[in-house]
Amino acid sequence: MSETVQLFVTCLIDSFFPHIGEAMVRVLNRAGARVEFPSGQTCCGQPAFNAGLRGEARPLAEHTIEVFERTSGEIIIPSGSCAAMVRHGYPELFRDDPAWLRRAERLRERTYEFTEYLVDVRGVTDLKARWTGKLCYHPSCHLLRGLGVDRQPRVLLEAVREAEIVPLPEREDCCGFGGVFSIEHPELSGEFLRRKIGNFESSGAPTLVVADTGCLMHIEGGLRRRGMSQRVVHIAEVLDSR
Amino acid sequence: MKIKDFRRGARQSLRDENLQAALDNNALRRKEGRLAAIASLPDFAERRLRAHAVKAEVVAHLDETLERFVERVTANGIQVHRAPDAAEAIRIFLEIAQAETAGQKRPGEGSTPLLVAKAKSMLSEEIHFNHALEAAGMRVVETDLGEYIIQLRGERPSHIITPAVHLRRADVGRLFAEKLDLPYTEDIPTLTNAARKALREVFLSADIGVSGVNFGVAETGTLCVVTNEGNGRMCTTLPRVHVALMGIERLVRSLDELALFLSLLPRSATGQKLSVYTNLINSPLPGTGQRRHLILVDNGRRALRNSPLVESLYCIRCGACLNACPVFRETGGHAYGSIYPGPIGSVISCALVDREYASLAQASSLCGACREACPVDIDLPGMLLRVRSGLIPERAGSPEGKAARIKEGAGLPVPVRLGLKGFRLAAANPGLFDLFQGLGGLLSRLYSPRRAYMHLPAWTGWGYSKEFPRLAVRPFRRRWNEVEQEVAESGDRVNRQAEAGEDGRDQGTGSQSLAARFTEELTALGGKVYLMQMEDLPGRLRDLLNSRGIQRVLVDDAGAIYLGDVSAVREPDPAVRAGVTGALVGIAESGSLVLVSGEGQTLTASLLPEIHIAVLKVSAIVPGLEEALRRPELRTAAAGVIVTGPSRTADIEMTLTIGVHGPGELHVFLIDDSKSV
Repeated sequence: MSETVQLFVTCLIDSFFPHIGEAMVRVLNRAGARVEFPSGQTCCGQPAFNAGLRGEARPLAEHTIEVFERTSGEIIIPSGSCAAMVRHGYPELFRDDPAWLRRAERLRERTYEFTEYLVDVRGVTDLKARWTGKLCYHPSCHLLRGLGVDRQPRVLLEAVREAEIVPLPEREDCCGFGGVFSIEHPELSGEFLRRKIGNFESSGAPTLVVADTGCLMHIEGGLRRRGMSQRVVHIAEVLDSR
Repeated sequence: MKIKDFRRGARQSLRDENLQAALDNNALRRKEGRLAAIASLPDFAERRLRAHAVKAEVVAHLDETLERFVERVTANGIQVHRAPDAAEAIRIFLEIAQAETAGQKRPGEGSTPLLVAKAKSMLSEEIHFNHALEAAGMRVVETDLGEYIIQLRGERPSHIITPAVHLRRADVGRLFAEKLDLPYTEDIPTLTNAARKALREVFLSADIGVSGVNFGVAETGTLCVVTNEGNGRMCTTLPRVHVALMGIERLVRSLDELALFLSLLPRSATGQKLSVYTNLINSPLPGTGQRRHLILVDNGRRALRNSPLVESLYCIRCGACLNACPVFRETGGHAYGSIYPGPIGSVISCALVDREYASLAQASSLCGACREACPVDIDLPGMLLRVRSGLIPERAGSPEGKAARIKEGAGLPVPVRLGLKGFRLAAANPGLFDLFQGLGGLLSRLYSPRRAYMHLPAWTGWGYSKEFPRLAVRPFRRRWNEVEQEVAESGDRVNRQAEAGEDGRDQGTGSQSLAARFTEELTALGGKVYLMQMEDLPGRLRDLLNSRGIQRVLVDDAGAIYLGDVSAVREPDPAVRAGVTGALVGIAESGSLVLVSGEGQTLTASLLPEIHIAVLKVSAIVPGLEEALRRPELRTAAAGVIVTGPSRTADIEMTLTIGVHGPGELHVFLIDDSKSV
């Protein structure tokens, strides 16, 4: 464990939800990590990679590797799918290029998803956070099945004062985001979303917690379209609240 | 382009309420069943990885394993044929049909065409088997209830395990009223019984029985065919000629490995510990003049093996990935166009059916539920990503099949493709990225001045069902300096905390005796078990038969010794309603009986009558499948079957119906021989 960590904030949080990035920095700081933000970072290349356009994904992956290999310490990503991209996608993307593969492997060894880092590396489960009301946790697909991270966000939420964690029915089902899937198959994506929102509604919680911004903007977008008052928050926002 | 057809099919499926109800039912019931069945195997996770490793080795040494298998099968007296592609497989079958029935009937001649009774085989669908045989003047009848239903409807299967999963009972009721002259009914047992009657005729008069093969065992040359209804047993036992169709990759090396895969396949497919009938076929049945043929089909499999999609050859066709897939749950199988639907279908169809199916890989949100459900741990999302990027094999049937790039992102809509290209141009350059972020923030503020989430029109795809967030006017990178300063000044810290230990899992198993476990398992499946002393057996048997009004029974040699004064016949007779057999072994963990054929043992007494009575000694009960498969009799007998409960189906609305083609009642007379052992 190094004192200094590198924040890979992800293009979605950078562009759409900067307040989540800020919350995350405060939480990491509280957990004892000194956070640095390499300024040249953009996108990990996941959207193009998942769409099958490896030729488009590769320049972004190379760029990301170049930006972060100039730094030291763990690389923290507040998104299961972007962390899974670095951990599983990069070795696949560079499987036929030994030189880049070695660089990708070195990056991968330093990379952690946010909650995984807090619990497994820093050994912190209680951030002394406070949140009044019911919370419901949606495990994002790439975090849950791609990285096998499920216990970590849940122990972090369990420690939040005054919060009542209620179960989400069919919790492990995809919300229908899936990157370009949400645009490419509007009807299917909409149907997954309808079911996810129905399950969330039946949980009785006003707030859904996620650890992946893709799911956040997708489910929140569905709630807003329906004019519903329930909201989706990133786990960093919950852990940051006092 | 296939993906457009898929999108159209998906929209159609979403509008079909009947189908949606059927698919929801399938997804929920199958998941529940699978999880419960898996829970009964404490070392499931380890077995899953072991199965993956076994398949990886078998596929890596495919040719050697295949040669060993072929050698054994041939030595066992089964004729082996090899078909590089679909056309050749058909040609071989027609040749076999002609040679085997010469002097009796000729295909397409006379008033009674050659009758082929067929058990379920996805490979036969892949090579358009039925169509080709019918074109050659034969009559092919599907005998699996689900396949029979869709054959009557002139459809193709919508699921690789439950072909009629898209239909509801009313659909079947109407179909049978029209085709079988049955008064309209929605009663599933009545419908099942109607099919049983119609198909019984077919089994008894078929010239050729055709089956697939779930596993070929290289060390023994055994063909393992798994079914629930009993139609697979019928097709491989009754007709004088049996032809098995098998994909060249469906191999395991030993009976121990077979036991491993049999512990995974039924659990993942239907939530059963074992399917009702696990047939182990070694050679033609002696004394019956039976002839057996095996057609080994490549049809693109070697090409897959030499491609980056090689893992897809580890598939055991359990259908768990279909049941777990949220896309399949909405669309059903027909929308995919290929006879292999769902996640695995979107990987293999481009190699085994048509290259154009590569675009089906776009039909996934990459949620990974498929991989999690896969009992062989195939990295299905990883395979889908490779197909998406154009890493698919050369044309099906080409021997070398090196990875050949087709266009990256085949099936991706043009605007999405352009959007991703544009995004790459911007994101590869931090300065440009910064510029576009600022511009985006401004434009989205202009588009939606008051609301943080914008309303996009439906044609954008996203706007079809959700709002889209505005871009931030000040992205995170512009706020960084302030945040950095804020935390630098804050003294807010928490200490490292020891996490509470977990995983105090209960390891208690209890010391349940094998006989008690056997009884419990079989009773749960609807079988009856009676523990008795040997001397009480004739009396108890007579009582049971009297209570059913049965005077005569069908027996084999193993059953005959228990009969006492009950009158018996040896030859199958439709008027005889009960069969009495012995049993070689009982399996405690699944409540199964192992029966083998041999001199005077034809396996028909346990198959044809409505009631099967088996005599089993307590001392013959073993804990599990592994021990049972180690019995030498299973290597030497012409055929064996592992019977797990009465014959059953869930092909109509997933509703369990007992008694299809095999016996509807299973009684086990368990002889307490503990004193004599």
